[in-house]
Amino acid sequence: MGNTKEASAVRMSRIKRKEEATVPAPVLEVRDLDVSRSGDIVVKGATFTINEGDFVGIVGPNGGGKTTLLHAILGILPSKGRIRLFGEGINRFRRWERVAYVSQHAINFDPQFPLSVRELVGLGRVRRGNLGRPLRKEDWSAVDDALGAMDLTELAYRRIGNLSGGEKQRVFVAKALVRDPDLMILDEPVAGVDATTMERFYQRISDLNQERGITVLIVSHDLTAVFCRMSKVMCVNHDVHYANITPDLDHNELLRKGYGEHFHFVFHEHSCEGVFPRP
Amino acid sequence: MRLLEYPFFRNALLGGAITALVCSWVGLFLILRKEAMMADGVAHTAFGGIAIGLFLGIDPILSALVVSILAVLAISYMRKLGLASSDAGTAVMLATGFAGGLIVISLAGGFNIELFTYLFGSILTIDRGDLVTVSSLAVITMVFLGLFYKELLSMTFDEQAARLVGIPVAPLSIAYNVLVAVTIVLSIKVVGIILVVALIVLPGLSALQLNRSFRGTMITALGFGMTSTVLGTFLSAIYDVATSGVIVFTMVGIFLFVAAYRRLG
Ligand SMILES: Nc1ncnc2c1ncn2[C@@H]1O[C@H](COP(=O)(O)OP(=O)(O)OP(=O)(O)O)[C@@H](O)[C@H]1O
Ligand SMILES: [Mg+2]
Repeated sequence: MGNTKEASAVRMSRIKRKEEATVPAPVLEVRDLDVSRSGDIVVKGATFTINEGDFVGIVGPNGGGKTTLLHAILGILPSKGRIRLFGEGINRFRRWERVAYVSQHAINFDPQFPLSVRELVGLGRVRRGNLGRPLRKEDWSAVDDALGAMDLTELAYRRIGNLSGGEKQRVFVAKALVRDPDLMILDEPVAGVDATTMERFYQRISDLNQERGITVLIVSHDLTAVFCRMSKVMCVNHDVHYANITPDLDHNELLRKGYGEHFHFVFHEHSCEGVFPRP
Repeated sequence: MRLLEYPFFRNALLGGAITALVCSWVGLFLILRKEAMMADGVAHTAFGGIAIGLFLGIDPILSALVVSILAVLAISYMRKLGLASSDAGTAVMLATGFAGGLIVISLAGGFNIELFTYLFGSILTIDRGDLVTVSSLAVITMVFLGLFYKELLSMTFDEQAARLVGIPVAPLSIAYNVLVAVTIVLSIKVVGIILVVALIVLPGLSALQLNRSFRGTMITALGFGMTSTVLGTFLSAIYDVATSGVIVFTMVGIFLFVAAYRRLG
């Protein structure tokens, strides 16, 4: 249990750091990034900086290159340009335990795969540092914490194949969360989920961002959620446009760069009222 | 239980149980990796190795071990180069190994009786030396599975995610496949080349039907594997029929029983 306390102390200091620092530390810096797939340039000239504590919504049409961009950031795909994670060039970066990623396809696993929810979230504690050793007590208490944070305690011993779509998504976020990351990258984890469940999901992610100080990058097709909840928006359609979400942001001007010039998204300040009721 | 008084029968039970334990454990991962047919492919390749061993007058299990490990490495290599999927690569190695075996046999002047015992197994002839070989190979395999259990599970479930968190997927994958080869060769004495795939696949497949957690599935698979091997050996001695056949039939029986139980319950 001592370890959990330690972990929460780390978290507190992380939040404090965020409050005290006048200039937040950059978590991810991308400069002039080109990413190709099968010879075609899919993302070109991406340049942006994501700071500690940011909550970034990544939007853009299907096939626009959102997943491609994330894969380049994670080093899964080769790219041209510069990527720095926590101040270190991606090729030299080794502290991957600070980054947690949930892939767009995470929930498309074999439904017959024999794993309980708790076992799957436990796999989130598997890392380079404990190679060849069993998970310890403190790993499992971190698992139970993550299950609690994602409201999954009741489902801990259910088989993952028997969960609903929304439950599966929460399980994978719990698996990411259990690594106690500083940066969480979620690729469209709420596709095909009903509106209420989706709102509650974004609420939980927002809590992780605010209460634990985790920097979050999340791909989303829910523009209302992005503009109501998040601090930055990135619109990806080959080009990457990046903006702070402020009351005077012309969201349609930004979105048209990604979705085409006839795109119109009705959004006023009061669009958010009642959408995300806080308890 | 007069049977237990015979040393050869005790050897058979012990050797069979150890083999079943390892086979069902290795097999469960193999099924989940969707590489079950690799077991069959490697077993048939081992046939080539056995023929070479008999031809050259060295321990056929040893030569089979070498040939099977080479086959497994070739399969992974072909997959890595994009020459063939695991499945297709397995088919290629199966054919190559078996054909090689046939050539060697014809050079040696035809089948002999010893070759038959490797094809169909001879659990009742397991002696102390065999027991030592089987147990030491089993210990190596089980230590590996025990140590890297969580890494293997993680990469079996989602290889890309495992790679991202820094699990050395490629070396572990190769080590695991080499142990598949080892496991298969050590099972040849028990059920023979043709039926070894049953020992690897059936316990895991039966356990998977019960929809349990991974831990539960694994324990059940090991239980099914050992029970059917021990039970099969007894039944075959009592009714005096081919042991490997009865062992496999017992496994199929358990599989059908579990399937029926799931439909009804
Ligand atoms: N494995 C691949 N090989 C070649 N091209 C690919 C591959 N995966 C994606 N692409 C192409 O790259 C482009 C960008 O795809 P990407 O998956 O990054 O889009 P996305 O913005 O994530 O879309 P979605 O909203 O549908 O998830 C598309 O034109 C797609 O066809
Ligand atoms: Mg995508």
